[in-house]
Amino acid sequence: MKEKVLSIPTAFGAPLELYKNSWGKDGETLAIVSGLQGDHLNGMYLSSRLALFLDSVVEGIANYTLKGRVISFPVVNLNAVQSGSKLWPYDDMDMDLAFPGNPNGETSEALASAIYTHTADSYWSLILQSAPPHYEDAPHIQTLKLDGRIKKLCRDLQIETVLKLNATPKVGLFHQMHARDIVTVTLSAGSPRTLNIQQCDTLFQGIVNFMVAEKILKDKRKLPHAENTNSKFYEASDEVSISASTAGMFLKEVRVGTTVQSGQKIGEIRDLYSGKRLEEITATADGFLVTLRQYPIVYEKEPIATILTQKKSWREYLPWST
Amino acid sequence: MLSRCILSVKTPVGPPIEVIRHTFSAPLPKPAQRVSLVAGLHGDELEGLYICHRLIETLKKLEEQDALKGEVHIYPAVNPQALETGTRLWPFFSVDINRTFGQTHTPSLPGETSKILLEDLKSNSDLVVDIHSSNLHLMELPQIRIIKNFEKKLVPLAKFCNVDLIWVHPHAEIFESTLGYNLNQAKIPTLVIETGICLRINKNYCEQIVLGILNLLRQTGTIYSSEPEEEIREPKMVQPEYVAMVQAGNAGLFIKQAEVGQMVTEGEKIGDLIDPVGGQVLEEIRSPRSGLLFTLREHPLTSKGAPVARIATEEPA
Repeated sequence: MKEKVLSIPTAFGAPLELYKNSWGKDGETLAIVSGLQGDHLNGMYLSSRLALFLDSVVEGIANYTLKGRVISFPVVNLNAVQSGSKLWPYDDMDMDLAFPGNPNGETSEALASAIYTHTADSYWSLILQSAPPHYEDAPHIQTLKLDGRIKKLCRDLQIETVLKLNATPKVGLFHQMHARDIVTVTLSAGSPRTLNIQQCDTLFQGIVNFMVAEKILKDKRKLPHAENTNSKFYEASDEVSISASTAGMFLKEVRVGTTVQSGQKIGEIRDLYSGKRLEEITATADGFLVTLRQYPIVYEKEPIATILTQKKSWREYLPWST
Repeated sequence: MLSRCILSVKTPVGPPIEVIRHTFSAPLPKPAQRVSLVAGLHGDELEGLYICHRLIETLKKLEEQDALKGEVHIYPAVNPQALETGTRLWPFFSVDINRTFGQTHTPSLPGETSKILLEDLKSNSDLVVDIHSSNLHLMELPQIRIIKNFEKKLVPLAKFCNVDLIWVHPHAEIFESTLGYNLNQAKIPTLVIETGICLRINKNYCEQIVLGILNLLRQTGTIYSSEPEEEIREPKMVQPEYVAMVQAGNAGLFIKQAEVGQMVTEGEKIGDLIDPVGGQVLEEIRSPRSGLLFTLREHPLTSKGAPVARIATEEPA
């Protein structure tokens, strides 16, 4: 069911309207939020795809029955989406620095407040985002905690890579969800301003799997139980950032989401005038390439890639280990 | 004056991005007091740049007269690319650099820049003044804003600065990523000046602040200087409950009928909010209390809930 939860008058036309989708009435609630930034298209697409799927479940034309409750907010930063930009140019405010919001405040604050209020009774929440501007993320989960509930959520989502962040801004939705003890993760994939259907497929299957595992959905088919993915949990200290030591045009030679070896070439930076190679960017550690520069123009000192490294097992440090 | 580049970043097509620090120092082995002045964190706030320009002129003369007792550092343009484009945010990243201080998340060039600036200020300052204009929407009377927790230390210093108003306000989490908050947390007293409006220079306000900062330098023993020719004004002290905020109840165009700095009485008309398409007046904006109108909406395009005015009242609002 699509329901209008907020209407804000505008100076020149029809009011700005925030919509919530909801399915089911009973059970614990899963909240899905996307479109906090106006150019994070993967999340908005994924949310619309989930809406189509859950509508078909409710209509009885899918292989599932709905047992729990799901709500979604496909688009939050409505003005930024309409402007085709990350932020709404009128206020240049990062929507994800406006929480918990203010129902009597300006547009961004009122929108944030509506999201905060309508997700209050959720048990789980998923925030869908893309990488920061100029980067591409491999599909991965970001969390602020790694307790049993979050670990189970991550395993059920069947997304292999889980990164525990040290901190996020206190005025961001992610932090506010955690502060209310809602089991929350951010699913990050792709680049701003682009749609990656393949990455969205991966996340879609993961979310459906999670809903089945948590009995929000029941699969009518008698399928053998699928093996859960072995999640790899990384701490912020496992992140290795590789930065440019010059400026120019970065030409990548690897794909995000792949494993790289220390010394492996990631790409090179060329001079925009002469075309000459200024710098070869190589991996400084073995690991999983979770974030890669997507926009080629780079400044000196900008991070080009982030590699997640696995800690060695204590066994590998034993003198008789080879 | 000694100039030093504290950050230099190569750019893809042109000259490097450089953050410059100018230093005026007493010829003493250990300067008495080190004061730093910062401007241009937001690239559309130009009044701080003009204030720094005027202070550099004056400090050069004081240096020639051996009138320095301490050390003054001026960082006149700390967000050069945003200043060149006249935008609040660093344009390449769409990032507000004054929301990146003290954070430990994913590395980025704006994050690196704020880290270097913060460290440089910490190691060179006993007192910092961070100069801002308002955003594009509001005109502000020259004022210093102080988070309640830092009131005791900062108010006596703020009183030297020749501002019209010192506004003590409660803490909010959004401040935790600002330069001022992080320096104050690091026990370096930092005054945040807010004056005028972005993309404009109000010369009178700027001269008022220049006079105030020179007085601050004199009062803190950083410069030898005679009493200022003009009297330093006694600022109005405003606690949170003495600020009445007027917000728009509708969306439309705000047509002001008052000026910032004016004393208004309860019920006095401040302006109209009009419907630009339908042609009617949506709302008459009136002052809810008597007092000093220290903030007034300048950008006519107004959304519902947007601030229109702030009044420093004589009684709790």
